Formats: sequence, C-alpha cells, structure tokens
Amino acid sequence: MPLTNTTAVVPSRAEKPRPRIPLILLTTGALSLAAAPGVWSQELEATTGGNGFYSFSDEVPEVLTTTRLRQPKVRVPGTTTVIEGDLIRDLGITSLVEIFRLVPGMVVAEVGSGTPVTTYHGTVHYEQRRMQVLVDGRTAHRTTLSDMDWQTMPVPLELIERIEVARGPNAAAYGINAFLGTINIITRDPADTAGVETRVVGGSRQYLRTFAAVGAADDDLDWRLDYEKRRSDGFDYQMDHGEKVPFHDGHDINVFNYDSRLKVSPGFDTEFRAGVTDGLNEEDVRRNGDMGLGDHPDIDVRDYYLHTRFNFRTDEHHFFHVQAAYQNFNRRQSWSIFVPEPALSCLRDGLYVFDPANRDTCFPTDADGNLILGTPLTARVDADAEDSRLEFELQDTRLFSDDLKLVSGVGYRKDTYRSATYFNGRGSNYQSRMFGNLEYTPIPWLTLNGGGNWESTTTTNENYFSPRVAANFTLNSNHALRLVYSRAVRTPDGFEQNPDYGFTLHGVQPSVYSEFEGFRIASVNIWEHPDLVTLGQDLEEERIISREISYFGQFPMNEGIFLLEVRGFKDTLRDMISGVIQFDDWTIDNNVAIDQQGFEIEASLEYPDTRFRVTYAYLDQNTWYTGDPNVSEEDKKYNEDLLERLSVRHSGSVAIIRELPMGLLASGAMYWADEFRKSEFQRVDLRLAKRLYHPGFTAELALTMQHYVDEEPDLSSQNNIEHQNQFFLEAGVRF
Amino acid sequence: MVYVAGSGNAALDQHVRQLLQDSLGPGTSLVPLPSNRAALVGDAPVVALGPTAFSNLRQFNRRASVLAMFVERSFIQAYTERHPGQVSAVYYDVPLLRQALIGKAILPQATRISLLATQESIGLYDTLITQLPAYGLEARVFVVETEQQLIPTLARALSYGDFLLAAPDDAIYNPRTIKHILLTAYRRNKIVIGPSQAYVKAGSLASGYSSFPTLIHGVAHYLDTYFKTGAFPAPDYPEAYGVEINRQVARSLNIPVPDRDRIVTEVDEALALRQRALP
Repeated sequence: MPLTNTTAVVPSRAEKPRPRIPLILLTTGALSLAAAPGVWSQELEATTGGNGFYSFSDEVPEVLTTTRLRQPKVRVPGTTTVIEGDLIRDLGITSLVEIFRLVPGMVVAEVGSGTPVTTYHGTVHYEQRRMQVLVDGRTAHRTTLSDMDWQTMPVPLELIERIEVARGPNAAAYGINAFLGTINIITRDPADTAGVETRVVGGSRQYLRTFAAVGAADDDLDWRLDYEKRRSDGFDYQMDHGEKVPFHDGHDINVFNYDSRLKVSPGFDTEFRAGVTDGLNEEDVRRNGDMGLGDHPDIDVRDYYLHTRFNFRTDEHHFFHVQAAYQNFNRRQSWSIFVPEPALSCLRDGLYVFDPANRDTCFPTDADGNLILGTPLTARVDADAEDSRLEFELQDTRLFSDDLKLVSGVGYRKDTYRSATYFNGRGSNYQSRMFGNLEYTPIPWLTLNGGGNWESTTTTNENYFSPRVAANFTLNSNHALRLVYSRAVRTPDGFEQNPDYGFTLHGVQPSVYSEFEGFRIASVNIWEHPDLVTLGQDLEEERIISREISYFGQFPMNEGIFLLEVRGFKDTLRDMISGVIQFDDWTIDNNVAIDQQGFEIEASLEYPDTRFRVTYAYLDQNTWYTGDPNVSEEDKKYNEDLLERLSVRHSGSVAIIRELPMGLLASGAMYWADEFRKSEFQRVDLRLAKRLYHPGFTAELALTMQHYVDEEPDLSSQNNIEHQNQFFLEAGVRF
Repeated sequence: MVYVAGSGNAALDQHVRQLLQDSLGPGTSLVPLPSNRAALVGDAPVVALGPTAFSNLRQFNRRASVLAMFVERSFIQAYTERHPGQVSAVYYDVPLLRQALIGKAILPQATRISLLATQESIGLYDTLITQLPAYGLEARVFVVETEQQLIPTLARALSYGDFLLAAPDDAIYNPRTIKHILLTAYRRNKIVIGPSQAYVKAGSLASGYSSFPTLIHGVAHYLDTYFKTGAFPAPDYPEAYGVEINRQVARSLNIPVPDRDRIVTEVDEALALRQRALP
C-alpha cells in the first residue's frame, strides 16, 4: 500500500469504535429527501454561507483577469490563456519570462546586455511597454520608462499559482498600458504553502537558482517567507569586428518576499505582502554606457514593495476590497567616460558633438585614420534612477444573480521619478480612474459583457474612456463563440514625454579640465541627427481598436478531454510612437500606423497519465509611416521597422507531459518563432524527473536539456551561445 | 412489532417511521422507543436511527436485536462482527470504490487518487487501495501527523493525484478544515470528491449518496428476513446510489460534468463489469 509519510502498521479496528457526530438531518421538502448530515450540515452551511465557498470568493481559480470578475471561460469576454504553475515546473522552465513562449502570439527575446523582453503581437523590442503586467493585482512595470524588468521581478517560479494572459486590449478593466494585453501573475496563497520547500537548479552558463520558503497556516493567520537567488552568466560571447569576445551580460539577483493573510472575522481579512530585490545586473560596455571608457556599466538593483489589501464580504452577494501598494525601483549605474580634447572644444563652442556635419571638427583623425585624442578628459558619470509608484484601488463586486454580475471600482496612482540623468531632477505623474463591467446572461445561450474604464492622466492632461462590449454564445456550458469589440489607449510615460537627458561629470581628470567638474553634458549639446530631433514636442496617446471572434470548446472523451480555443482578430493601431530614445538621438513621435490581423490556436488533450498542449499564432502586420512627410524614405522605413522588431509572423509551441512508472515524469517542449525579424528561434526542451514520496517529505530530482535548433542567434547577432545543448540539474524537497 | 429508536430529530423520526410503515404494510406496528424504555423491548427488533440512538440503546440493552440505519460502516463494523445476526445495519455511507469511480467518470483521464488520513484512519482506505488497480486507478495515502501538518500534507497530496477523494473521516474533513481543503485544492485546479452530500453543498465537486427510499427498502428487507429467520442478514450497503454534483464548481473549474444519471450508469457498469470478470 503506497503510503507517503507513515511507517506505522495499519491499526486494527478498535474494539469499541469512537463515537461519531451523527450525520443525520431531515431535509424538508419533497419526499425525495436527501439524507444530508445533520449537525455538520448546519455547521457547514453556517460556515460557507449556504451556497458553498465556491459561490462567493475570489480566492479560487477561474478567469479573473479579463474583467476582474470571476468567470468561467465560456463567459469571459475575450480570449485568456491560463498557464498553471505545475505546467511551468513540469516543463523545466528556467526563468519567468520564458513562460510566455507558451502563450499564443507572445514573443520572448533578449536585447542589449541579455535583457529579456516579451510582448503580445510584437512592436518594439527595447522598452516594451504595451502590456499591463500585474503581480497579485499590483502593477509591476517600472515608472520611469514604463517597461518591464523581468530579471528582477519578485516572483519565484515555485510560487506561481497560475498566470493569466488576457490577449487583446484590456484597458476596459486595467486602463492605460493594457494596450495589447494583460499579464496577471497570481502567486500561491500563503495558506497553500504551509511547511517548508527548497529547490536548487544549476546548469549551463553558470545558471543557478536556489529557492527556499517557509510558512504556516492556521485559523487566524497564513504566512510565508521566501527567498530566491537567480544567477546566470548570460550569453557566451558577442561579435566585435568579426571576432568573438566575451559578453558581460549576466545577473545575480536575490529576492526576499513575505506574504500573509490575517483572517479577522468571517467577512473580513487582510493581505499583506512585502519584498526586497537586491543584486547586480551586468551591462556590457559595448552595448551600454554612453561614451564609455572600458568598465562595464553594471546596474546595482535595490527594489522593494509593500502591498496590502483589505477584503470585505458583507453578504453572499456582495464583496469589495481596498488595496494600497507602494513600490520603489532603485537602480545605480555608473561608469567612466573618455572625451577627446577636440570633442571638448566642440562642447565649449556649442557644436553638436555627434552631428556627422561636425565629425571632422569634434572627432578628427590623423592620416592613418586614428582618432586624434589630444589631452582627453576622463570622468565618471551615472545613470542612477529611482522610481516609485503609489497606488490605491477600491473594487466592488455585486452578484445580483447567477446571470447578472457587476464589478466596479476606482483607482488612483502616483508615479514619481527621480534621476539627474534622465530628468535632471524629479517629476510626478498622476492617474485617476473608474472602471466597471456588467455580465448579463438574459437567456441560457447568451452572455453579454459591457465594461469600460475612464481615466485621467497628467502625462497628457487628458481624459480617456476605453470600452469593451462582448457577446458570448454558449452551448451546454462547454462551447462558446465570442464576439468582442474593444478600444484602448497607451499614453507616453514620463521619460517619453518629459525627458531632460544628460550626464553630469564627476572626478574629472586631468586637473586642467577642472572647469568640467559637475558639468552636465545634455542631449541637446550632442545630437547626432539634430534635424530629426523631436524633443519638446508633446506626444499624444496611442490608440487601438480591436475586433475579436473566438471560440472556446471542451470535448469530453471516453478517457480524457480535449480543449480548443481559437482567436481571430483584426486590430487597427494609430498614432503609434516610434523612433529612437538615445542620449544622442531623440526622434520619437506619433508617426506610425498599424493594421494587423491573424489567428491563434491553443489546444490541449488530456488522457490518462498524459497531457499534450499545442499553440500556434499567425500575425499579419501592415505598418506605415504617418509622421512628418518631409523625412527621408529611409527614415520612414526605419520608424516602421522599429515597430516590427518583435513582430513574428508564425510562432507556437508543442508540449507533452507524461507520467511514467516508478515515479518518473517526462516532458518535452518545442518553441518556435518564425520570420522573427530576419531570423528564427527554435528550441527543444526535454526533462526527466523522478519524484520520491517519502514519510514526511516529497522530493524531486530532474535533468533538463535545452537544445537550440538554430546555430544563428535570434533578434540580435550578439546573443551567442557556445553549445547548442544546455543542461540543468535540479533537486527539490517539500516537507 | 418493530421499535424505532429515534435520532432526536422529531421530524426526521416521524418521516422515517411513515416511510417504513408504508413499506412494511399495516400488519407491522412501529413503536417509538425512548432510551429509558430500551430495556423493555424483549425479542422485538429495534431500528436505531443514527449512531447516538444505537449507542443509547446498547447502553441500556445489550441483548436487543438492533438494525442500525444512518450509520457508517466504520462506526458499526465492530458491533456487527461481534454480534452477527443480532446487530446489523444498512450502511449510510457510500463505498469508497464507488466514490472513486464517480471521480473517474467525471475526470476520465484520471489515474491517480490522493487520499488524506490520520494514523487512526488509514484503515478506511485499505480495501479501496486494493480494489483500484482493477479499474485503472491507483491511490496513495498521505498521512496527516498533526493538525498543523494538514495543509502541507494536502499540498503534497495534490501534487500526486488527479483528484482528492474524501472519506467520511471527521478528523480530516470537518467544518473547520473543509474551507481550507477545498480552496487549496481548487487553487491547484484539483477537484474533491466526497465525502457526502453536505460537502457537495459546501463546495466539493461531487459525491455519491444513498437515497431515503433505497435505505428504507433495505431496512424493510432486513426486517422481513428477521421476522422469517430470527436473525438479521449481514450488514451491507444499499443497492443503489445517487450522485450529487456542485455544478457551479464544475463550471468554475471548466470541467464538463456528465449528467447524474450517466455517471451513475457508468459507475454501475464499471462495477458490474468487474463483478462479471471475477472467477
């Protein structure tokens, strides 16, 4: 008999059975009386509110993200991919961002010094900021640049309960930034992680991930304390003038989290979370560090967050929560710079240092083509930045009946950014919003959803309303055909709209240049393409209108179940912001329009001991320039291309997980992204795990191999690995 | 004449007496039996409604012929084994194999079942674990050593099984623990089957149950045998069961659940098929 945590012999039946609470009750009504337990039945009803826990609580799964209502898939107004934590772990996924390869239409890549980026339906590769990302309902993207730093996210893989990705504009629920979609990362409830869990994963390219969590759950308080270290050396090498040189693009990040739920009364509980992220994110001098001398401009990461939520339940049909979150992103980055003497003269004379027209003056060369340095200036500069976000939210849910549900709320957010480099000081943006969604099922085969978000932001000093309406035609609770219309906006972030970009010189050497100590070299002093500079122009919001027709179906079979979800879409994106954000170039403007259409498939087949999952996405994107007609055709094309860098025509994944005898679990996955700029990405992952169920603990040992099918790197020619096969070993134990 | 030792719930007692009377016919008189008169029953059989009624009766009269109703097998088994023919029962609980097959009918891809038990209640699952392989299923018992270990053990159990099968084990499943157990299971997208109808109302996905008419039919048959032979047949489960389903849970978990009759039919067929295959 397979027992897990006992070695005791099964006790013989006691001579005198222990008394049992009588399980008898007369349920009045028709004569077909159900024999329900008596005392306990009454107590259960008192405890659960009569209709069970499930009828009323947002502590349990379903699709939460799309409208903020708990909805089964047949009633959700839009296609939503749900990735369960167990799937992530069973496939041996090694980092948070890699998970999104499982989502149809999402692309994952690395830019700069191995900085991971991901998005749905492409657009730009750097500063990807067109998806709303939430962790347990808390906005996760950075304030200054509004992009995501996936390497430092305070989310250990072991603690992911599930990730919901609402594919398509979702500003109706989450406002600005939920432009192309919404990612909601839901971590495991502290009540579910009571006990102790540890895991160590190590492998190729000095990959190391260690995780430990301890917690407890009782009637009053559930809590968990966890720690994760993530370390990797990144890519093996980059190319410099045709030669392989080491790539300084690793990271060493430590994350600490505390998560708790205090149950004050049956109708009131509070959640409290706090976390600290500390570590080093390596940046290669060849990829980053303007005017760099030679030392790598590594980023020192020191982030923290505080998040609390008060959950109130007034009765079975009404609950609301108030939440507040404060997050601070603190990045310290400094490096040495080197300025040739002629360039300093240009700065003194007010010439644009990097303007090709001034090249011979500012960067003269001798007859052999060598730069004439004169007496160069050396100094240290930094790109320190500290952002903080304070947000409040009140959300109210009313369940008038099974067929009529309303969620509504208000929110307020203050984004503060402080950086001498990016803003020459500090600034703030303020957002206020109201949102709501009504779900109405007038007849059993039709569910209607109508929702919207009204928002006011000081970034553009304008108000926006983002609506969504949808009709779900359902059959047997197993099939739904959805028609969805939605609109959304993305407003420019603080840096796009109000930059003051410049580096202040410190530690200037030699002393002959002491006049430059504390001097601020600003973008406006050094433009490379002064005729293209758009700095000072007010940017408008980006707009998207999306039309979706989708189908969700469940097909029970004799020994399993087949699930299919197909999404067809046709989107129009206007006033898209394209161009370059660099120290010596600033050309961003609302100057590109996109029409895109395509379809996506997500299917899974489950049968005894086996799960098979397939995704495929096809994206047909048509991009054209709508900005200043006087710019060259080359520049127009360049701006169009920038918004297609992460747009992939074909992408998908195949995964299979199979239980084998002797506690073995085998899994395999293939991910691909085709016509990815001019390259493609293909990788096959294989994992074999052995699970051990012992008295008092469960352990797992696993070996994962990642095989990169293509020798050529994707997206950037700098992202190279020496060996196409990468190996990872892991060991975990749970008490 | 048949005495009826009541449960203490007057409405229930009255209703059961009425159903029994209808089943036995006017030739048999049913007499309510207060516990303080238990010693006076003589050779007449007593139908005890529930474990409290049974225990009270045994306290005052150990010689009475008692047929227990609304009692679980685990409660009455020791008595019936020591006093065959004199003490018998029509079990109230649902055989665990039947509960497991209900889970299989709902999740046909399931092959592994998680079971939670205490050191004292491991024995509840002995028979089940030996029966399951014949139906393409296997189960593992995860033993909860202390109250504080309930959730950690549950978390480990859920990582093993396709669903959690709950037996009538009040040390594990009770009003204080059930919310935790259900929420933890559903957050992991694992369903819970059993242990009874009341738990289905609380959020368990499904459970088998024995209906009143079936129980009454069984009791009438046992009394008829007693009148003819002077002894009760061996205790047994009723012949038929219904299935209670929490459709809201199923919808929320995106689990397409067949209708109740189909589940009952599938379970009956699986049991019958196995029965026919036995030598």
